[in-house]
Amino acid sequence: MSEPAKNVASNLQYDLLTPHSGAEVHQIDLSANVSQDVIEQIESLLVTYGVVFFRDQQLTREQHRNLGARFGQLHIHPAAPAPEDYPEIIVIHADNKRKGVAGTGWHSDVSCDAQPPAASMLYMKNMPAVGGDTLFSNMYAAYDALSDSLKSYLEGLTAIHSGADVYRGGSYKNEAQGGRMPVSEHPVIRTHPVSKRKALFVNYGFTRQLVGLPQRESDNMLRFLFDHVNDPHFQVRFAWQPGSIAFWDNRCVQHYPTDDYFPATRTAERVTLSGDTPYFEEA
Amino acid sequence: MSADAQPSEVVLNKTLLTGACGAIIHDIDLAKGVDAALFDAIDQALLDHGVIFFRDQALTRKQHKAFGKLFGELHYHPAAPGPKEHPEILIIHADEKSTFSAGQGWHSDVSCDAEPPMGSILRLETVPDTGGDTLFSNMYAAYEALSDRMKNLLAGMSAIHSGKHVYRWRYKVEADKMVREYPESEHPIVRTHPVTKKPALYVNAGFTTHIVGMKPKESKAILEHLYQHIAQPDFQCRFKWEPHSMAFWDNRCMQHHAVFDYWPQVRHGERVTVAGDKPFYDDAA
Repeated sequence: MSEPAKNVASNLQYDLLTPHSGAEVHQIDLSANVSQDVIEQIESLLVTYGVVFFRDQQLTREQHRNLGARFGQLHIHPAAPAPEDYPEIIVIHADNKRKGVAGTGWHSDVSCDAQPPAASMLYMKNMPAVGGDTLFSNMYAAYDALSDSLKSYLEGLTAIHSGADVYRGGSYKNEAQGGRMPVSEHPVIRTHPVSKRKALFVNYGFTRQLVGLPQRESDNMLRFLFDHVNDPHFQVRFAWQPGSIAFWDNRCVQHYPTDDYFPATRTAERVTLSGDTPYFEEA
Repeated sequence: MSADAQPSEVVLNKTLLTGACGAIIHDIDLAKGVDAALFDAIDQALLDHGVIFFRDQALTRKQHKAFGKLFGELHYHPAAPGPKEHPEILIIHADEKSTFSAGQGWHSDVSCDAEPPMGSILRLETVPDTGGDTLFSNMYAAYEALSDRMKNLLAGMSAIHSGKHVYRWRYKVEADKMVREYPESEHPIVRTHPVTKKPALYVNAGFTTHIVGMKPKESKAILEHLYQHIAQPDFQCRFKWEPHSMAFWDNRCMQHHAVFDYWPQVRHGERVTVAGDKPFYDDAA
């Protein structure tokens, strides 16, 4: 049942930080020309453990963007601030002027979109000495841990994901929806398009309603599921350093950036991979 | 050095785990004993960080107990007496036959006691390759993050903590030992830490059953909210064990959760628990 902590798959060396979430890859320089074989091994870790970590990387913006593009089509955020000449890069910055950290609470990135991002690759530039960890929770493990009865109840259900609360203030409006805040309906249990495994796909940040259920039932069921996602059994907690990279799969993992470092400054840059329309397939 | 000289102050080499709690203390071999100056520094680190960690401490049971005794009387677990000669030691063990492991879920140790333990000192000898982490959550920070309205509601209220549902099936204790081994106590929901005098949230999902003086549905709703509040990662750190790592946590201002995600591997260690005082709430503090 348990995986060995040390693994060598041809030339890719990694440790599992916990049994379900988080593989840390060692002895790799991502600024160098990475072979297609290694890219495929990284993707295999990504879709299995939900998040892959790298330490001590030194990437230019061009290298960061090009590395992301090895894994698929890059997503351009319609509203987030991007550095000049790099529309694919989102700058994530928190300092003493902030009120709250972007994305606080468990969430899957922009799940209010009709085709939410497949994966996100965050490169840490500047960190407080202590604090600002990010947690990741594996949604295959969260699904697997449900009772058979509850799995049956949830399979085939859909939920409404809304950006209205998250992006209030107009930082993100979807032009395709006439400038309104994006709202989408997605399956509650999602089949991962690569691994074909089932994953729980409701999140505290965006999910507001289980479609077709009475309000009270929807509210109570979502509250239970949000609490379930927060079970440490499915999680890894990652302590960043400048030069760390986390590459996570939004289709099978949720993340939670901690806000325990005010007023220190934390700056990172992210490239995001476009995703497909979530679906559920009875296996 | 003259006879009345103060012991020189020890400056610990520490690594903080997060902005919320937890510090690893380096360059100390507890087997060599702890003098007064080192004791003061460790005691202060515990108060400052809520939980402190040491690596590579290959202590004997006698040394482990001696370290615990520096901080107070040792506590005897009501339902799980230790090995012969060492009744104060609590064995923590999970293997391929385990269907649960001790300490799953958020809790403060033995809070069902009238005078719950002040602190617990756990040393693991065998750890799984990966998994078996322990999380700690800072109850000062959890209290501070409540709304003012909620702080006012909880100030001065108390809750019942019971060991019955926790220990009965687990330790298969005989019925006539009920009273001694399934203690039940009433404690303030906001607890004033007796040393720091700071307020800390003191209800936990492991032992707390209901709030005194509230209707059952109200009590259930408030406790559910508080348990979810406590489970927020912003108040926490997560510790990865190595063989002979040791953790010392302050049960008066911390809760912890031992993750059982490593079955069928073995996780084995021993805990020494330091007795504590009766929880109180002082609104002048």
